[in-house]
Amino acid sequence: MNTPLARRKPRSRKQDRRVASFARHLLLIATSIVILAPIGYMVLASFKSVPDFFGNPYGLPTDWAFDNYTRAWTDAHVSITLPNTVIVTFCSVAGSTFLASLIAFGLSRKERPLAIGLYTLFVAGLLVPVQMIILPLFILLKQLGLFGSLFALILPYIALGLPLGVLVLTPIAAAIPRDLVSAAQVDGATEWQIYRRVILPLLRPGLISVAILNGVWMWNEFFIPLIVAFKPQSQTMPVGIVSFIGVYSTEWGLVFASVVISTVPIVVAYMLMTRQFQSGLTAGALKG
Amino acid sequence: MVQDLVSAENRPGPLRTPLPRRDAKARNRGKLARKYSHLWFVLPGLVFFCMFMIYPAISGFAISLTAWTGVGNDFHFVGLQNFAAALGSWPLYRAAYHNLIMFLAILVFQHTVGLFIAVQLNAKPRFMEVYRTILFLPVIISLVSTGFIWTLMLSPNIGVINPLLHDIGLGFLARSWLSDPGLALATVIAVQCWNVLGWAIIIYLSGLQSIPEELTQAAEIDGANGWQRFWRVTFPLLSPSFTSLTVLTFIGQFRVFDIVYVLTGPIGSPNFETDVLGTLIYRSAFGGSSMASNDVRMSYAIALALIVFVAMAVVSTILIRVLRRREIEA
Repeated sequence: MNTPLARRKPRSRKQDRRVASFARHLLLIATSIVILAPIGYMVLASFKSVPDFFGNPYGLPTDWAFDNYTRAWTDAHVSITLPNTVIVTFCSVAGSTFLASLIAFGLSRKERPLAIGLYTLFVAGLLVPVQMIILPLFILLKQLGLFGSLFALILPYIALGLPLGVLVLTPIAAAIPRDLVSAAQVDGATEWQIYRRVILPLLRPGLISVAILNGVWMWNEFFIPLIVAFKPQSQTMPVGIVSFIGVYSTEWGLVFASVVISTVPIVVAYMLMTRQFQSGLTAGALKG
Repeated sequence: MVQDLVSAENRPGPLRTPLPRRDAKARNRGKLARKYSHLWFVLPGLVFFCMFMIYPAISGFAISLTAWTGVGNDFHFVGLQNFAAALGSWPLYRAAYHNLIMFLAILVFQHTVGLFIAVQLNAKPRFMEVYRTILFLPVIISLVSTGFIWTLMLSPNIGVINPLLHDIGLGFLARSWLSDPGLALATVIAVQCWNVLGWAIIIYLSGLQSIPEELTQAAEIDGANGWQRFWRVTFPLLSPSFTSLTVLTFIGQFRVFDIVYVLTGPIGSPNFETDVLGTLIYRSAFGGSSMASNDVRMSYAIALALIVFVAMAVVSTILIRVLRRREIEA
């Protein structure tokens, strides 16, 4: 390595690297701007008054219309749809994750009767598109008299969240060393105690990614509530905003205040747990 | 069937023969109960799953064989008529064509721009975490919000894009993006690119990070230049990411609904130029602008949804098979 060539190389390579690094940052900053600009615009737009949209399309608002938010809260029914979204997402995530963890434990041992068949059945649920089941679901919910209550969303969400939960959790439960379970059995633990004390704590990372995966789509879900929730009393935010648009189509400030309110919670959650969101969502998407 | 097996543990079953001691009998029964005890854990979830997924799926298929419109009680059996009518209708193919264009365009975008940015991030520049957090952000934001942001930005009167083009002297490029028949589909695709770029970056980045550095270093020692190292070593090793991203994009783009609904409405305006399978099914079931429309046929819509489901299942299976084979070769 003492040849002149080898000695000259590092320096020029260093320079190359600096140029490459500069270009790389330039590209990444430019892309980040493209990604962030519309989001920033959304936030600005939520503070604009109607004339501002025409006279001053992309500047800061001339007078900050904070009352967009107060009016969104009342006129756009955010005061109802935001709690609805929180309740629906929370209950569905909790229910779905809990049931999926039970199933994962039940099916985690392949030699048990029916384990593989049931696992396949649950996972096949991933392939079923919402469009196919939404119409019979609509009829079923009507027959059950659930229209107008949040259960019309919570119950189907729990069922729709199961396939992903089972898919992610069962392999994790199956990978838990048998000795742990046998040791608990020897100590006289019941199946429920084994689940509660041994399996559940070990499933924790999986539970978090399942909760995130399902939570994100449940929070953002538009199609199901569009079909089964007609009144603000039972709507979640995405549908609430869309049906509000029909009523006040020119009140963009109000609309964007609602959009910001619906986006902030999930973005805050993402910022707090960036890593879990990214790995959780990717794992789920790849398996799905 | 499953319930039977679950309750089997309560039945004495084959243990009818008198056993010498009571506790032996109990022990045997206990053994049988243990054999099926795991099903108790499955049962609650299974009830939900049967009720809100399997039952709707089966009854959906049953309805698709009738002439039911969504209201009333006219459930007379028409066999596969709905399926034949759906397969013979031209809007199905037009919508599928639009889905296909979206899929191909976004696929190319993901595998070029997305991959390129992932490679840049993999070089671990400073603030890499910050960039990654920002670039993944649109994935978290709902498609409805995305749709609204861009509806307003692209709006010809109060938007941002057109005034901006005017102000930087490119006013001749200003268009009515979402209502120009020649541009609407491309605009919807562009908005989706903004939304899905994060997926490509994260998936490729995790693929890149799993490649052992020794491999590229070995290639470097063998005298391969950067370009060769990428195409001969890195890219083939990324084929699992390529497969996942392609399948993910396929499923995503053939199921697309929310963003089209918000950007161009349930009728895929202008003049059905952005009509996709999702909006077509929605319209067949619930009508275009109002809920009360005469050509709304629930049974037909379900048949349509089933056709799309079967076609997607077949294509994605083939896609996975073909791409996986490629992975093994690489």
